[in-house]
Amino acid sequence: MLHKRFVALLLLAATTSCARDATQGAPEADDFGDPIIVRSAPRRIVSLNPATTDLIFALGAGDRLVGRTHWDVYPEAAKAVRDLGSGIRPNVEAVLGVRPDLVILYASKDNRAAASELRTAGVNTLSLKIDHIADFYYASRTIGRLLGDSARGAIVADSVERTLKRVRATTQSLDKPTVFWHIWDAPLITIGRGSYMNELIEIAGGRNIYGDVDQTSPAVSIEDVLKRNPRYIITGPEGSLKIMKDPRWSEAPAVRDRRILVVDTAIVGRPSVRLGEAAESIARLLHPKELN
Amino acid sequence: MHHRAWHWIAMGAVLAALAVISLGTGVIHIPAGEVVSALQGSGDAATVSIIRNLRLPRIVLAALVGAGLGMSGSALQGTLRNGLAEPYLLGVSGGAAVGAVIAFAFNATNDGIIALAAFAGAGVAVLLALLVARAAGRAGRGDPRTLLMAGVVIGAFANAVIMIALANAPPNTIRGALWWMMGSVADSSWAALPWIAGFIALGAGLLIYWAREIDLLALGDEPAAALGVNVESSARRIYLLAALLAASTVAAAGLIGFVGLIVPHIVRAAGIRNHRPLIVGAGLVGAALVISADLAARTIRPPGELPLGAVTAVLGVPFFLAQLRKSA
Repeated sequence: MLHKRFVALLLLAATTSCARDATQGAPEADDFGDPIIVRSAPRRIVSLNPATTDLIFALGAGDRLVGRTHWDVYPEAAKAVRDLGSGIRPNVEAVLGVRPDLVILYASKDNRAAASELRTAGVNTLSLKIDHIADFYYASRTIGRLLGDSARGAIVADSVERTLKRVRATTQSLDKPTVFWHIWDAPLITIGRGSYMNELIEIAGGRNIYGDVDQTSPAVSIEDVLKRNPRYIITGPEGSLKIMKDPRWSEAPAVRDRRILVVDTAIVGRPSVRLGEAAESIARLLHPKELN
Repeated sequence: MHHRAWHWIAMGAVLAALAVISLGTGVIHIPAGEVVSALQGSGDAATVSIIRNLRLPRIVLAALVGAGLGMSGSALQGTLRNGLAEPYLLGVSGGAAVGAVIAFAFNATNDGIIALAAFAGAGVAVLLALLVARAAGRAGRGDPRTLLMAGVVIGAFANAVIMIALANAPPNTIRGALWWMMGSVADSSWAALPWIAGFIALGAGLLIYWAREIDLLALGDEPAAALGVNVESSARRIYLLAALLAASTVAAAGLIGFVGLIVPHIVRAAGIRNHRPLIVGAGLVGAALVISADLAARTIRPPGELPLGAVTAVLGVPFFLAQLRKSA
């Protein structure tokens, strides 16, 4: 234990250059401004964010999970963990009912009250806003530290980072085709600058046609998509079927010339441990000749 | 008679002009000449597709929805003798929405099934409102004001049912359903238009056919009865028909409020009082109103769109309050 703490301290020292750290001297705070409390390693963890659930399994602590959201179904083993419902405005009573000693929340305004209530009830919380790839690195290191395994937290973050760097290096010199990411059809939702998916497109050697929009998932009109005329449309298997049979899309050059790229939503759907794999798969779709 | 003719020409001209302006306006600039040739199917394939598959079906749907709501509102205001009656406020639209949202919750994607579910929901809402009004009323078909109040409460109940149906739905489904509840003609397609056009035409035809009865009902129950109208059955029939007309608009475009409220007032302001011309006029003005509201919804804040129902509500609520003050 002591040894682990020492390693943790060393790693902490190594990572304090991270831009997200609080001002020196003050205790480090999470994304709700609550102090991050590192106690003895938690044994009963509730993760209320699909990305952190996936991450906790990668950190080898899946067996310590006692609760997850309804949407956390990756990896497969996560399905065996108790479903506590929504991760946004969670049912605090249900969360307390599984007697957790650490609850990890997504730091959106909707969850502020739940985090406070859990802390009042004496449960340690960690609220992280994981929207960008850098947020994931930070989450991996921080959760690793709380689990008493900073080394593994750093390894997971580093391995994802290395993969992403490698993908970026291979696509750097290639053309950057324009991409429209079709998330949902009614209303038509895409991704903007606020999403890690926007970063994935850039790393994979593409350019998001809505990279100029600040929001995470803006609703847009088909006519505006046609105006921006993307070379490729990225979507899941369902989305591609919907686009193919919708006459309004039929004359979009990307649809007419069959440049719809179908991604595995299980891989690209969360800013988590499979980010590297996600970028790699998108890069192969965008640059089939150069990368396959 | 002479000045009447001018009214019809004006209404028709405004509707046609708005349709043409709407067809030529969008985030993509298409010069007038290209719009005309695209309509005929010639020119750049993408431009043809934008005009024929995006803008035109949208405008046609907006016109149908507006006409349906306008006519439904006219019939309801006449039958209930209340200038504040309209399908949205009477809970009819809410009932239709419950039906459609339940269909969504069961993953229905077929337009026909969603329309049937909306009809069923609207039918249940109307029957409930009539039952409540009848129970509360002293005799006959009950007090029209009670019916209006019952409708408002049933609308609130419908909202609650929708919230419950959506409480545990996946985030994208919720966003989709909310978007739909705020009303939109963005997803219009030629494949779905014949259905709604058929329903609206049928409803409009029957309402126009029964317009004389609405005229008599609008005089009051006793005068109507004295003039040979079977007040209860006649009012119920027209009320149900107006409800189904509104339900078909809900199935096609979601909840679009206040059109049914405003439009009959505009037509009456032109001096048209009899319900046959009033209903036809409300169809034309309603179509023009929703086409312009949709033009605003899709051009005010690109690249996104505003919910059409919110645009009509922003226009409609001040109008409603002004009417309320007048009638008070």
